[in-house]
Amino acid sequence: MMRLLLLRLGQAALVCWSVGTLSFILMHLLPGNMAFRVAAGRYGYDNLNLAAAQAVEIELGLDQPVWEQYLNWLLDLMRFDFGNSLVSGLPIAHELMHFLEHTLMLAVTAMLLALLLALPIGIYAAIRENCWFDRASLLMSVLLRAQPVFMVGLVLLLIFSLQLRWLPVAGFDGPRFLILPAISLALVLAALSSRVIRHAGVEVIHSAFFQFSRIKGLSFGQTLIRHGLRNAALPVVAFLGIQLVTLIEGIVMIESLFSWPGLGHGLAHAVFNRDVPMIQGAAMSLGLLFVVLNLWVDIACHLIDPRGRAES
Amino acid sequence: MTGSQPIIPLLQVENLCVFSRPQAKNQAPELLLEPLSFSLYPGERLTILGETGAGKSLLMQAIMGTLPKPLYHQGRIRIAGQDLDALPQTEREQLWGRRIALLPQEPWHALDPLMPSQEQVSEVYQCVKGRKPDSADHQATQDLLAVGLQGAEHKRPDQLSGGMAQRLAFCAATAAGASLILADEPTKGLDTSCREALVQLLCKKSTQGTLLTITHDVAVARQLGGRILVMKSGRLLDDGRIKQVLDDSACQYTRQLIEAEPARWPPYPLPNIQQATPILEAQELSKQRGNKRLFEHLSLQIRRGEILGLTGDSGCGKSTLGDILLGLLPADSGRVYRRGGFAPQRYLKLYQDPPASFAPQVKLAQLFDDLIRLHRLDAKRLPALLERLNLSTHLLQRHSHQVSGGELQRLALARVLLMEPVFLFADEPVSRLDPITARDVLQLLVEVATEYQCAVLLVSHDPALVHKICHTQRCLSLP
Amino acid sequence: MRQLKLKTSQKIGAGLLLLLLAFALLEALLHGTAPYLQRLDQAFALPSLQEPLGTDQFGRSMLARMGAALRLSLILSLICVLTSATLGILLGVVAGWWQGWADRLLSFILNMLLALPGLVLILLFAGLAPGSLLMLYLAISLVLWVEYFRVVRAITRTQIQSSAMQASHMLGFGRWYCFRRHIWPALVSPVFTLAAFGAANAILALAALGFVSVGVRPPTAELGLMMVELFPYYSDAPWVLAQPVLAVFLLVLSLNLLAGGKRS
Repeated sequence: MMRLLLLRLGQAALVCWSVGTLSFILMHLLPGNMAFRVAAGRYGYDNLNLAAAQAVEIELGLDQPVWEQYLNWLLDLMRFDFGNSLVSGLPIAHELMHFLEHTLMLAVTAMLLALLLALPIGIYAAIRENCWFDRASLLMSVLLRAQPVFMVGLVLLLIFSLQLRWLPVAGFDGPRFLILPAISLALVLAALSSRVIRHAGVEVIHSAFFQFSRIKGLSFGQTLIRHGLRNAALPVVAFLGIQLVTLIEGIVMIESLFSWPGLGHGLAHAVFNRDVPMIQGAAMSLGLLFVVLNLWVDIACHLIDPRGRAES
Repeated sequence: MTGSQPIIPLLQVENLCVFSRPQAKNQAPELLLEPLSFSLYPGERLTILGETGAGKSLLMQAIMGTLPKPLYHQGRIRIAGQDLDALPQTEREQLWGRRIALLPQEPWHALDPLMPSQEQVSEVYQCVKGRKPDSADHQATQDLLAVGLQGAEHKRPDQLSGGMAQRLAFCAATAAGASLILADEPTKGLDTSCREALVQLLCKKSTQGTLLTITHDVAVARQLGGRILVMKSGRLLDDGRIKQVLDDSACQYTRQLIEAEPARWPPYPLPNIQQATPILEAQELSKQRGNKRLFEHLSLQIRRGEILGLTGDSGCGKSTLGDILLGLLPADSGRVYRRGGFAPQRYLKLYQDPPASFAPQVKLAQLFDDLIRLHRLDAKRLPALLERLNLSTHLLQRHSHQVSGGELQRLALARVLLMEPVFLFADEPVSRLDPITARDVLQLLVEVATEYQCAVLLVSHDPALVHKICHTQRCLSLP
Repeated sequence: MRQLKLKTSQKIGAGLLLLLLAFALLEALLHGTAPYLQRLDQAFALPSLQEPLGTDQFGRSMLARMGAALRLSLILSLICVLTSATLGILLGVVAGWWQGWADRLLSFILNMLLALPGLVLILLFAGLAPGSLLMLYLAISLVLWVEYFRVVRAITRTQIQSSAMQASHMLGFGRWYCFRRHIWPALVSPVFTLAAFGAANAILALAALGFVSVGVRPPTAELGLMMVELFPYYSDAPWVLAQPVLAVFLLVLSLNLLAGGKRS
């Protein structure tokens, strides 16, 4: 357990370092003089002059050698000082909090919805292996997975917002705006996890210990609850770790599609605008979110399966 | 035979046979188990003896009603007079645990890997007998105590030994109070000592009910007593009281089976090796695995042509010792000396699981070819060698998984012999084979080893076997 | 070597992929129109004999654009898969076999890469050089090789501990023989599955980047970019919007079917 914690902690540090370094390179690849850019970001293009740019240059240490600038850049990072946006001029940290809040809202809602969809579908398909329902859910899953994530959102958007006009198209201004993005993301997540739940369930139902429990005299329902669920939960939770990649990718795509004011949209937008401090902040937040979620999955696996404990 | 008794038999099987459903429409169904009839009365014990693939497990599954989908049965099965096929599936399942108990073949797989031992028993009292949790727990503790599992109540199956897991499975299977107990190869993979304890447990339990055991082990059948059926490839060959069948059977196959028991083997005429030169010497070897000390300050010497038998309970480090002697594993301390200056490729190993020792994706001929080419061996030796081992050269045109275990182990032996080995570590080479095949393979191994003057370290869990065919015996026990 | 036996679903996938491939190649050979050629007077022309797939908002030939976009997706995914598979197999075998510092170093790099979700990494790289296909190729390959490395390393480890390979080793066979007879045959089928999934992921990533406008730049014909450009006209010309959507769908579906077994 301690090893896992250290691994995740190390990963978090690596996320910060690699994103920071890439952003630093990015900053220096930007066309034009950096001091002018920052000054323009701060004071607006109208108030931009040489004096202001020089002041910025000295203040930010842009006249120092590159490696010194790099160290300063990383030091700032360690103090969680992300600087100001090159586009809006507002402090990044403030915007990030705003983004994070919305991303979490979307992610949690979508995951809950996905769970509500995938659990009953997966379990029922496992119990009735190879029946029409199982096959239909497989077909749905294959069709959904053959789409880019944004396609699902796009179709829902076309139907419910543009054609039927039941729901708002984009942005965030109340719970109604949450419905479409959350459902799109949930569908994508459920497409994969329902099959994983189904496979894990089938495996457990066919296992020798499930059969033995029936032969001991327990009914199917009793066996399913006492032996089936916990043993099937193990591969499902372990798979969640892999699914987290889909979740983060889904967040980026779905947020961009619905102009959801979250980290994913923020990142894509910043990359488009080459707003380096924002890129750095958003990428780092998504990376850290990813690491934290992975840690949760680790802990959940650890709690479900005590066998690993003796080994580690 | 006993049909005149006035009581109803607890289990009655009449012309039971098992078929496999045809794959295509115009095919006929394949008969896997030929018609079989017997009755079991309270207090009786019946043992079915036969090698793997004899259709013994199908019989158990047919009685339980758990035959896999592509199979089906014909004939009648009655439990206490009740025709099982007349019952709907749900009522049939009601019999499980309450009237019939099935002891699983591999207890480690049959127990829930995440649940503590005691709970796996107490849940039966709770869910099936409707007892309160406290009383169910209490009863389960009593049960575990009765089979010598005190102290293991809160352990998970992976923390139990094979013997303990089998006893736990026994408690769990019989907790719901069934009087008819079916045991499917209950001693598979158990050490001799655990085996006896389990057989005694089965005997004790069956005094109150009826016991039907399937085994391939003549010794187990003998200990269980009662009646015996001998089966081969789905066919009943012999039937009678155990003493009469085992001592004096008219059936040739039964006699073969009995003679394949190591205890019955004639002593093998081993040549004298007192004058032979030592080939391998180990001094003061020690090895630990995890926190467990396997052996300490172990020294041994083995001469050319010597057969050294190594016995001991599973997990005591027999295989580890062999691997250390071959240099496949490092020892914690001590040294191994190879004498005589032979090439390293002449120190070889035979594996427990024959299919695992060949690359599965290419034909066997290719593998032999590779070896012959690598060492520029005389390719003409191979056919003669195969003939010596009673193998057809046609087998080489197959892949390893298309050849039976006995043949494959002999092919492995042929591959080893091509190298003219001076030392061979045979790691339980016949434990996965049927008794008759096992005896044949082992006899061949000893014969050719003598011919080639090859030293053999033979690991086995069966002291009787080692006693018959080895010059020297060593028994490893945990310090 | 042993023949590859395909399941029915895999055969359907292979057939579908071949059709798409044939379309992309034949269009390049037989259809002369350039994908950039604008004819504003013919915007959203209905499919005709001359333009079987109609035209887009600038009157560009959709047939030419679909052909170009499919070629872009297929070629990019192919070279990404080749690069990442070669790299992943090579390093995986090295790490699995030697198990010393090489393994520790590579596992360290692996954990570093795994710390960032793939798409975020690709976005960062896309930010380094906007519109550069080379950068996209590097980024996607960098994300994809990890999977090969993990699988190959695990399989190599089990093969090395197998009795079959131990036996070969004791009989005097060298490392190359052990690789050829024991490790490679065990790798073929999982690597094939990974390659098919990897190609699908590369195609999806390219489309996704195009969709958030940080991938290749207009006027390049790229499936994701075409979707985002044509989306505003969904009610005027739905058949035009449907084309790139269908193309991505069929590409990914065919590769997923071809991959066969479930993802581990």
